[in-house]
Amino acid sequence: MAEVVVTGFGVRTAFGQGADAVRRGVFGGVPSFAPTTRFDTGPYRTSFAATTGGDKPDALRDVLGECADEAVGMAGLAARDDTAVLVGTAGDFAALTRFWRGEAGVEVADTVPARQADLLAARLGATGQRLAFTNACVASATAIIHACHQIASGRLTSAVCAGAYLVEEENFAKFDSGRALSRGGVVRPFSADRDGLLLGDGAATVVLESATAARRRGARPLAAVVGWGAGSDAHHIARPHPEGAGLAAAAKRALRRAGDPDGLRVDYVNAHGTATKHNDPAETRGLRSVFGARADRVPVSSTKGTTGHLLEAAGVVEFVITLLALADGVLPPTANLTAPDPECDLDLVPNRSRPADVRRALSVNAAFGGANTALVLERR
Amino acid sequence: MTTARSADPVPGFIESAFNPLVNAVAHRCLVDRPGDGSRTAIVLGSVVGDSTTTDLASTLMVGGQVGNPLLFMQATPNAVLGWLSKEFGVTGPLVALSATEDLGSALLDAAAVLLDDPELDRVLVVGVELTGNDRTTAALGELDLEPPTEDFAVALWVDRDTPPDGGGHDLRHLAVRDEGSTP
Repeated sequence: MAEVVVTGFGVRTAFGQGADAVRRGVFGGVPSFAPTTRFDTGPYRTSFAATTGGDKPDALRDVLGECADEAVGMAGLAARDDTAVLVGTAGDFAALTRFWRGEAGVEVADTVPARQADLLAARLGATGQRLAFTNACVASATAIIHACHQIASGRLTSAVCAGAYLVEEENFAKFDSGRALSRGGVVRPFSADRDGLLLGDGAATVVLESATAARRRGARPLAAVVGWGAGSDAHHIARPHPEGAGLAAAAKRALRRAGDPDGLRVDYVNAHGTATKHNDPAETRGLRSVFGARADRVPVSSTKGTTGHLLEAAGVVEFVITLLALADGVLPPTANLTAPDPECDLDLVPNRSRPADVRRALSVNAAFGGANTALVLERR
Repeated sequence: MTTARSADPVPGFIESAFNPLVNAVAHRCLVDRPGDGSRTAIVLGSVVGDSTTTDLASTLMVGGQVGNPLLFMQATPNAVLGWLSKEFGVTGPLVALSATEDLGSALLDAAAVLLDDPELDRVLVVGVELTGNDRTTAALGELDLEPPTEDFAVALWVDRDTPPDGGGHDLRHLAVRDEGSTP
C-alpha cells in the first residue's frame, strides 16, 4: 500500500484567508460570531454567524478556487491527467436563492454540486476524476477518505480534496426551523450551558499524493494520512447514536488502518463538537469507547466555538487545523467552555491553546443520518 | 438490479419523491440479500439531488413563509441513508455523491474503491434522479444535460464476487439516467 502524504493546503475561515488567520483566530480561541448582514435575520431566532467579507458571500466557485490555488502553489503540483478533484459541497445556495428571487445573471448551474468539482478541475487543468460529495457535514472528510483509498491502492497518485460552505439564508433558515442555532450567539462545545451551533464561512483544499510521487518531484510532505475510516450509527435520520457508536466505529477503523487499534499513539483529537444537546455527550461516549482507560489523558478540542459549523467544509477545514496542530506543536482550544458538563468529561483544552508535542492526531466528523468519518494524521 | 418510478411514502419524509424512491429500490435489495451490516456500505448518487425538497424550502423562504422542520430533516441525502441504515442495521460507510459526467460509472467506481477496504464485503449502489423543476432544467441546460422524463431510482449490489469491472456482466454499462427497463 502506498503511503499518503499531504503536500499543500489552502484555507479560509471567518478569520480570513490562509493559515495565519487560522492560527490567530482558531488557535487564539477567538469566537468569530457577529450579527450577519448578508440577509434579513428578522424572521429567525438568532442573527449570529461567523462570516467574512461584505454583505454578500463570494461565489462558492471563487472561494474554492482561491483555496485550491494556495494549496497547489504550496505543493508545487502541476495537475496531472490522473489528479482527482474531489469536493465536499451541496452546491451554491446563494445562487439558489437568487434564482428563485428572479434575479438576473444567476449562475444557476452552480447550484448543482458536481459543477463545483468541474469548475475547480478546469481551473487547475486537472482532467481526472471529478466528484462532489454531498453527504452533509462529513462530505469533505469523505472526499479525503475517497482519495486516500485510491492513492493507497495505486489507483491515483494525486488528488485535490476540497470543501466549501459560505453562510447564506437557505441553510440558516433550515437550521433555524430545526431549532439547532444558538440563540445566545455563542457556540459552547461540550459546555453544560451550550445551546446550539452557529453557521460559519469555511473552505479548504488539501493536496494528497503518494509519498513516492511526492518524493520523486521533490515535494516536502507536511504530514501523512496514516488512517481513515467511516461508519454509521444505524440509529436515527437526524440524531446521533447516544453512545457515539458510529463515530467510534469510524475512529476504530481509522486507527486499525494506522496500525494503532487502541489509539495509544494519538496525541490529540479534533472533535466534531457542534455544541448541540445531543452531539457532544454522544461524541464523548464514543471517544471514551475508542480510547478506553486512556481517554482522560487524550486532549480533545472542538474548534467550532471559533469558526462555527462549516457544514460540508467542516471535515477539510478541521483536517487543516489538525495539520497545523501537528506542524506548530500547539493544540487549539475548545473556546467558550465555561461550564463543565459531567457528560462531556474529557480533557477539552478549555479556552486557551496548549503547547504539545503532537506526533499523531485524529480528526472526527459526524453528520445527519448517522454518518461519521475519522482521519489520522502523522507529523512529517 | 432493481428500478422504481414511483414508491410508497416513507414515514417522516414529506413532499418529495426522492426519499421514497431511494427507499423503495434499496429496501428491495436489502431484503433480497440480507447480510452483515457492519461489512456493508451504501453509495447514493444523483446529479442534482433532491430538488423537490431543496426548491420547496427555497421558495417558501423567498416567499417569507415559515420553514418546515421536516424539510430541514430531509434536506440532505444523509436522511434517507440514515433511515435505511437504521432499518437494516447497516453500520458501514454512507456516501452520497454527484457527478455531471457518467454518474453510473462514477458510482460503480466509488463502490470498487470502497471494496479496497478489507473490512467491507459489499456496497449497495443507488442512483436517483427527479424530473425537477424550472431551476434544475435551467441548471442542467447550462451543463448540456437533459433532465429525466420521469422520476426514477435504480439500485444494485456490488460485492467481491461481482466487481464492476469483471464477472459475468459489465456493470459499468449502468446509466443512472437510462430510462430502459431492467428486471
